[in-house]
Amino acid sequence: MLKDLKRVRNIGISAHIDSGKTTLTERILFYTNRIHQIHEVKGKDGAGAVMDSMDLERERGITIASAATHCEWNKNDINIIDTPGHVDFTVEVERSLRVLDGVILVLCSVSGVQSQSITVDQQMKRYQVPCIAFVNKCDRSGANPYRVAKQLRDKLGHNSVLMQIPIGLEDKLKGVVDLISMKALYFEGDNGEDVIVKEIPKELEDEAAERREEMIDAVSMYSDELTEAILEEKEITEAMVISAVRRGTISREMTPVFMGSAYKNTAVQPLLDAVLKFLPAPIDINNEAIDHDRNGESIILTSDFDKPTVALAFKLEDGQYGQLTYIRVYQGGLKKGDTIINSRDGKKVKVGRLIRMHAAEMEDIDEIPAGHIGAMFGIDCASGDTFVSPGINYSMIAMHVMEPVISLSIIPVDNKSQINMSKALNRFTKEDPTFRTYVDKETSETIIQGMGELHLEVYVERMKREYKAEVITGQPRVAYRETITQKAEFNYTHKKQTGGAGQYGRVSGFVEPFDGEFEFVNKVTGGRIPTNYIPACEKGFTGCMEKGPKLEFPITGVRVTLMDGAYHAVDSSDMAFQAAARGGFLEGYLKAKPVIHEPIMKVVIETPNEFQGSCMGLINQRRGIILGSQEEGVMSAIESQVPLSEMFGFSTILRSATQGKAQFTMEFSSYKQVPQSVADAIIKAKEEDKKKK
Amino acid sequence: MLRKDLIQKSPVVQILGNDYMEKGQFGAVISRAGVGKTQFLVQIAISWLLEGKKVIHISLYDTIDKINLRYKDGYTNLIDSVGYIDPQKATRLWDDLAPCKFGITCHENTFSSKNIRDYLVSLRKNSLEMPSMIVVDGLDFDRDCSVVLDKLSELASEFSLAIWFSMKSHREEAFTDKGFPIQLDKVQSRFAKAVYLQPKEDKIEVVILKDGEKANERQLIEPATMMLAR
Repeated sequence: MLKDLKRVRNIGISAHIDSGKTTLTERILFYTNRIHQIHEVKGKDGAGAVMDSMDLERERGITIASAATHCEWNKNDINIIDTPGHVDFTVEVERSLRVLDGVILVLCSVSGVQSQSITVDQQMKRYQVPCIAFVNKCDRSGANPYRVAKQLRDKLGHNSVLMQIPIGLEDKLKGVVDLISMKALYFEGDNGEDVIVKEIPKELEDEAAERREEMIDAVSMYSDELTEAILEEKEITEAMVISAVRRGTISREMTPVFMGSAYKNTAVQPLLDAVLKFLPAPIDINNEAIDHDRNGESIILTSDFDKPTVALAFKLEDGQYGQLTYIRVYQGGLKKGDTIINSRDGKKVKVGRLIRMHAAEMEDIDEIPAGHIGAMFGIDCASGDTFVSPGINYSMIAMHVMEPVISLSIIPVDNKSQINMSKALNRFTKEDPTFRTYVDKETSETIIQGMGELHLEVYVERMKREYKAEVITGQPRVAYRETITQKAEFNYTHKKQTGGAGQYGRVSGFVEPFDGEFEFVNKVTGGRIPTNYIPACEKGFTGCMEKGPKLEFPITGVRVTLMDGAYHAVDSSDMAFQAAARGGFLEGYLKAKPVIHEPIMKVVIETPNEFQGSCMGLINQRRGIILGSQEEGVMSAIESQVPLSEMFGFSTILRSATQGKAQFTMEFSSYKQVPQSVADAIIKAKEEDKKKK
Repeated sequence: MLRKDLIQKSPVVQILGNDYMEKGQFGAVISRAGVGKTQFLVQIAISWLLEGKKVIHISLYDTIDKINLRYKDGYTNLIDSVGYIDPQKATRLWDDLAPCKFGITCHENTFSSKNIRDYLVSLRKNSLEMPSMIVVDGLDFDRDCSVVLDKLSELASEFSLAIWFSMKSHREEAFTDKGFPIQLDKVQSRFAKAVYLQPKEDKIEVVILKDGEKANERQLIEPATMMLAR
């Protein structure tokens, strides 16, 4: 691995589903000689793309797990993370962005900036990751890279600057004009591997000159030298422009826009050059860690090989040789045989086998120096753990993890499946923090929770394929919650005299709506309840939050204020006050007008204009609220908010209503109160469920 | 309570009165570029939203986010004009109002009443509450709009809608003999109400061009908030 960190890039490729990220990665691997044959994502040869190493990924044509790979371009090391485009797998994208120094944002030249691009952009902002844009699919009919560059400005607020213009478009796409060198680039050979540099075609000369002027004008903001050269009308060198663009890109103040067609092997090599020229090397980026020995003070890490090691485990995979942990080293280095400490639990671990990944294949290495991405075998840890050298106690800042919104019960068909299922669940929950599992105490069913139908479906399928665990799934269930809408008082006495020591405790106070999850306020004065029983009261109240008394959904947003009470010198105990608190909560809760809240999803449908009306109809049928509809050429994007419970099976319905031409994305937006008629239906269904049991 | 207070403070109600335009009728807000047509239209829409009615806002140049921002701004200005209001109450009311408006953005050449009709039909089919007003912002009245107006007129009658338009006039053009800007003059018979906005010193003067007996009434509003000038 290169130790000259100026020649290292850790980049990701992010975008909306079906924008061609995996195809682009495949081409990059081909041109960098990592693979010797190109396979398409859903190619007829049945091989699938190299980056989609899971069978399921190849079958569905989507990337599920982000595979890390490494390649070399012009004697520089490039580590690439291919990230999933589907919203349900957003946590994968978040994790990758955490460890990347730069991103290629891939946009479709026809669809432009789509909903997932917006989500990815927000994530990039959160982790301050610089990016360059690649407008892909310029060979498709309706392609318009200029419109996409404008959308980058309008919709995402990027200062997008065109660095190339296309030579022809749609089926006439021949190459691109590089606005820095002012040369035309053509891509010849069977797979576009020969880059032919020619003069700009006559008919494009004027446009190229005009666009170059616009570009120089925009990038001059980031270089005094360039501004001076413009003002003094000196010669503007390529180096000046490159250095200005690089500065603007790394500071996230501008986004250079490149274009081409990965599928048609057009303009991928100039994009690779751009990665080296404009995206930051590990030494250009400040990474922060928290020092637990100094009250959580933040520390800037330097890519110094001699300093103590700090590394972050960002992805786990269970391979045939045990757990494979993907790791990014920020400082120091990891060597075979080193002892490192997991800062989460303080456990010492010994570094065994170190490897560099190339999609599904691996290459053994002796060391991962600072600034590089690699993987290690045989270390038991969770995703997001920080590893450090003995003597320091740092941890990298935690990643943003969302709460799951949907659950599904799974029942193994036989004993063998049950054992395999628990192995699978154990691994999946370690790998993916948004995927959770628990056993329902009442039904003894195993419940899995996740971010959407597809998310859970993929895990059930993986259980079957990778672990041979056959399971029967129940109906997907929405994660409803209960809360109260008004203040209500309670005054409850728990008294029992059934022989032996009695139980006595009285609590009085009130419950009221609260913005957070739960709060307990103790305002008991004069020893009406002795202080040693207050924690028992709190425990009693907290315990009630797990399950609402009526519908048994978790309760949120309640503040309990304990005002008064009474005790008995002999009969009062922790148990008695816990019971009193439970009784008091129940009394107050039922008087406080409890309501059910349900998850509302932000649903964006992208449809040809002629189906706009019918798509809106579908949303109306599902208790949805249409927030707006935006026309973009021949397509419209309808933005709406729809309750998750109404969205089951929506993809099939949407397909049949639009002849398969529309697609939608869905992500969690907020919790909102369920209308009374729907609440009644939920209560009825719950009661019937109980009767069955 | 809050709704009532806000309706009373609404510049639209104070200028045009409480008698909202009848269904099937057209209204226009006219001014030269940059005076505040869209923001005044938004105030008209907000006054309808406060009455518990639904509104469709069609813009030929703003993005959805921009439309939403304009409504939020308009609502905040109205809230600020009332004096102190419990922020939680104000937020709750906004949460109620926001879903009652539906923004559509499209380009002038692709603007068609068919999509709006499809949407309205789907609402009717599902027995959902129908909007009672459409705002069309950005239609170019320098061109011949008679076909579009015919279609929208049919739509307005069929679905009992009132439609408000923004109309851009030009600084150099004089009013016609009838006292209307040229853009309105050609189509004035179709419009039941029309207001003209013009800068006057540091305020905006709202002149009622057409509204029964109210014609020629004038009021001043603040350019920053669109609220009545003190």
